Amino acid sequence: MSDIIEVENLSFGYYTETILKDLSFKVKPGTFLAIAGPNGAGKTTLLNLICGLLRPEKGSIKIDGNTAESYSVRELAKKLAIVRQEFVPVFAFTVTEVVSMARTPYLGTFGFETLTDKKHVADALEMTDTAQFASRTLASLSGGERQRAFIARAIAQNTPILLLDEPTSFLDLKHQVGIYDLLKRMQREYGKTIVAVTHDINLTIQYADVTLLLGADDSYQHGKATDIFSSQQIEKTFGVKTFQGEVGKQRFFLPLGKFAKANQKINGNP
Amino acid sequence: MAETLTPKSLAIKVCFCLAVLLVVMFSCSLVGTQKISLEKVLAGPGEKAGQNIDYEIFVGVRLPRVLLAALVGAALACCGVVLQAILRNPLADPYILGISSGAGLGAVTAVLSGITWSFWGGSPIAAFAFVGALITVWLVWFIGRLAGKSQVTTLLLAGVVVNAFFSAVIMFLTSIAKTDQVFSTIFWLMGNITEKDPLVLWVSAGCILTGIFGLFSICRNLNVLTLGEEEAKGLGVNTEKTKIVAFSFAAFITAIAVSLSGLVGFVGLIVPHGVRLVFGPDHRQLLPISTIIGSTFLVAADTIARIVVAPAQLPVGVITAIAGGPFFLLLLAKYTRKVSWLK
Repeated sequence: MSDIIEVENLSFGYYTETILKDLSFKVKPGTFLAIAGPNGAGKTTLLNLICGLLRPEKGSIKIDGNTAESYSVRELAKKLAIVRQEFVPVFAFTVTEVVSMARTPYLGTFGFETLTDKKHVADALEMTDTAQFASRTLASLSGGERQRAFIARAIAQNTPILLLDEPTSFLDLKHQVGIYDLLKRMQREYGKTIVAVTHDINLTIQYADVTLLLGADDSYQHGKATDIFSSQQIEKTFGVKTFQGEVGKQRFFLPLGKFAKANQKINGNP
Repeated sequence: MAETLTPKSLAIKVCFCLAVLLVVMFSCSLVGTQKISLEKVLAGPGEKAGQNIDYEIFVGVRLPRVLLAALVGAALACCGVVLQAILRNPLADPYILGISSGAGLGAVTAVLSGITWSFWGGSPIAAFAFVGALITVWLVWFIGRLAGKSQVTTLLLAGVVVNAFFSAVIMFLTSIAKTDQVFSTIFWLMGNITEKDPLVLWVSAGCILTGIFGLFSICRNLNVLTLGEEEAKGLGVNTEKTKIVAFSFAAFITAIAVSLSGLVGFVGLIVPHGVRLVFGPDHRQLLPISTIIGSTFLVAADTIARIVVAPAQLPVGVITAIAGGPFFLLLLAKYTRKVSWLK
């Protein structure tokens, strides 16, 4: 199968500062790609380039065979849906109303949701387990519930690609795992391509098929999460020592700061 | 309200509000200093002019004034909704981008320069106010653009600064003006509806209604835009186009409304809020219903302004603020749990 996202020799910078340089990678349909890297490495910038908010300086990004620029805003919204960090809208929209907005690219100027649109919305609410509070306003929900509502909206948009920008940053363990489970299900059962920017190396290793690790110095690594992540690589990219352990075949990492108790034991410091 | 809006439920609500508007307009046309009877009005004009005074007052004086109030109210409420959505700011009103001070400066200039020519039956005050409003909006928009493409905050700041500067110029001009000039200026600044030439009325009606329908065409996009521009683009909305349509139509019809009636305050701020509190924030419903309710509200307020100190008349802006404020607080108390930004 041909690739659904193709990034070729992509370069981008703000003013004189280069953020991304000569970046090339491909994403096959139905894969789960995690984009990791330290702050300022260009993870969100890359996401904004893919979804057409920013234009590449050099190189190209192809979505489903055509460059991102060649799509109209509306057509692109039928190819990819974006979930950013959750927020409270200014006006008191209910969950159903926000999820229904996903159907905007499919409706005309004076459009009202048709039965098909309503079906998509109802299904998305069901899948994300948000139907129970569908009639509540977003302000009245917890952060985790709100993030699920935004994911429901992305699902109702019915796009082959889901982009997520640190979807679990402010969530507790239960909701972090819940959201990754949901994304994995979307990938397995509905064949969606998932591209998620994340800070969580351990969740990445467990859920992603492919990882793109962006370094702060324009370098990058692309490949299987298990091939990319090692204590050495993490120390090189993030500048943090980690404890590497294994449970079965699953590798995991614990960050060790200067004053971490485990670190003191290892280094023999008082 | 787990149900999303359906065309049917919207049509029912809009028809109901329209019916209320028509009833209010009709009954307000019958009320006034000069008592007129419904029977005589319904009897028709009669064979000779001047035969049926009641009919002539009704058609020639009351009806145009009520229509004017309805138009101005509709324009202001509609623009209030649109600007609150585009600027994602519940405190926005139709005047926020400098229209009030620009129009005010135009009006004051017209009064002070003593120009008396009229144009299309419109007074020089109206013409100057209209031009002043449009120039100021353009200036604010231009300053906002300087800061980058999508800077809503810069636009708001530019509006506030331009408003403050022009208000200072207005104060300076009024402080050096003669007493009778100051009086008519102040009446204008408070918002004042008076009888207008029929031609002016019909031309303005055409422009305002066209503008309102233009704004109806972006209701869906407004919903999405209230979530932010990046979100809106992600949902397939051409945000630049929507913003330009919203600002230019809103500026144009607000400028017309202001040139007709001066600075009627409160309608553009409070009607959108009141309707949002009761019906929710979906703009496909919020925009048409606010427009009709704004219309109804200003017709009622203007009728009170006409009769409360008869035979003298109050500026309608006084009534909209005195009656609108407490009414809005009542709504707020009743529906507060629905409003997220108050929490």
